[in-house]
Amino acid sequence: MSLFDKYAPLKTRVDMMMKIGKDALGVQFDDIIDATRGRIGNREILLAGTNNYLGLTFDEDCMSAAKKAVDDHGTGTTGSRVANGSYSEHVDLEKALAEHLGMPSCVVFTTGYQTNLAAISGLAGDKDVIFMDADAHACIIDGTRLTGASTIRFRHNNPEDLDKRLKRQGEIEGGNALVVIEGMYSMFGDIAPIDEFLDVTHRYGGYLYIDEAHSYGVFGPTGCGIAEDQGVLDRVDFISGTFSKSLASVGGFCASRHAEFEILRKVMRPYMFTASATPSNICAALAAVEKVKQGDHLRANLNIRAEQLHKGLAEMQYELCAEASPVIAVRRPNEAVAAMEWNWLIENGVYVNLAVPPGTPQSSSLLRISLSAAHTEEDINTILKAFADLKDNQGALMAGMASKLQAAE
Amino acid sequence: MSKPTREEIYDKICELLKPYNPKNRPIEMSSGIMSDLEVDSVAVFDLVMGLEDHYDISIPMEMVSDIKTVGELTTAITELTSK
Repeated sequence: MSLFDKYAPLKTRVDMMMKIGKDALGVQFDDIIDATRGRIGNREILLAGTNNYLGLTFDEDCMSAAKKAVDDHGTGTTGSRVANGSYSEHVDLEKALAEHLGMPSCVVFTTGYQTNLAAISGLAGDKDVIFMDADAHACIIDGTRLTGASTIRFRHNNPEDLDKRLKRQGEIEGGNALVVIEGMYSMFGDIAPIDEFLDVTHRYGGYLYIDEAHSYGVFGPTGCGIAEDQGVLDRVDFISGTFSKSLASVGGFCASRHAEFEILRKVMRPYMFTASATPSNICAALAAVEKVKQGDHLRANLNIRAEQLHKGLAEMQYELCAEASPVIAVRRPNEAVAAMEWNWLIENGVYVNLAVPPGTPQSSSLLRISLSAAHTEEDINTILKAFADLKDNQGALMAGMASKLQAAE
Repeated sequence: MSKPTREEIYDKICELLKPYNPKNRPIEMSSGIMSDLEVDSVAVFDLVMGLEDHYDISIPMEMVSDIKTVGELTTAITELTSK
């Protein structure tokens, strides 16, 4: 028996995808032209699945900041902040984010994934109990696995269900409850009722941790996220986020209203034992934070585009998984149909995400669209036309899929 | 409420497994939940939430990760409900 035999069922699924068309989880672009355009071969592709919510990846100020950082401090840090020390850029960005969020402590990390891995595994000890939303991202789940804490899952976006499970747990002897939710969920684009979660969590003496990876920059009067949008930011215990979406870079942060959070710098293994973020990544993110704070016009356009696309797809009778938001998920009947349609869309110049179980809630197969403030009204019309054509060509598409699968047998 | 028997728990698991078993594979104590019944990892946790609510117990995720078969799940719930 080979080391790889355990992946045989997965390989069968991948082989089926490859018979239908391209590997949707391994697309290679020959060029990225700007925030909303890429190129594969000779075909220009409209990017509608890159989480580039504010479209800042080609912003002149962000690009200049990144280039200057390379000139000033080189290409890499060659080690962790514990071993090699912090650069002034790391500290400046932590101060800027702490100030923006109105919290006394903020730590930056090398990636968004590592942020939740580090903070959750650092915060929860053996005697604590983590209560996690059922639709939490993989990095939250993996963070809980690095702890000795028990983890209880509660029904998605359901504060009453959390209440029930906290009550069922009873007193946590020698420990605390850490409740982990997200602001906007990445797959469906649905939004948490943070005020209700705060009430329940704090009633039981717990701490609320919110991952605002997909909502920082996008929601709230100054772009702090859903908690700010709902007017409760000052009551939230921990806010995490990423630089790889609205902040147009790579990295992540966790901020806290508890100044004692600073001690975790001496505890969090994914912070201590990995190379720190590069000066160019940090400086691009720092420039983007300023754009977020002044980004009303970006958020306004993003909302208009989201409403436009959501309305257009709903009028075509597509089943959408949530209200209008920068993430719009179109539910498809199964994985094979979704894969076939995904291929058709990219062949017709529109890149969205193919999202399939177990990475999706409710074992859904999705065509997931993420919008950008850089998208124009015409771009949305292009996406809508592609989905309209997709519907019109459904018969031919399914016949094509059947013959492709048959030919591969 | 009297403590459920192992057989009653097994029957309940079979009932709650139905929506996750569209191919209608035969369910036995020795059936691997993910390997034989092809229930995906997220759906396993959804199934567990239903069992937690039915029996008013907590089944932590780290315990679920160690459970591979219907029989092991039955045993875990039998132990939790007998406390």
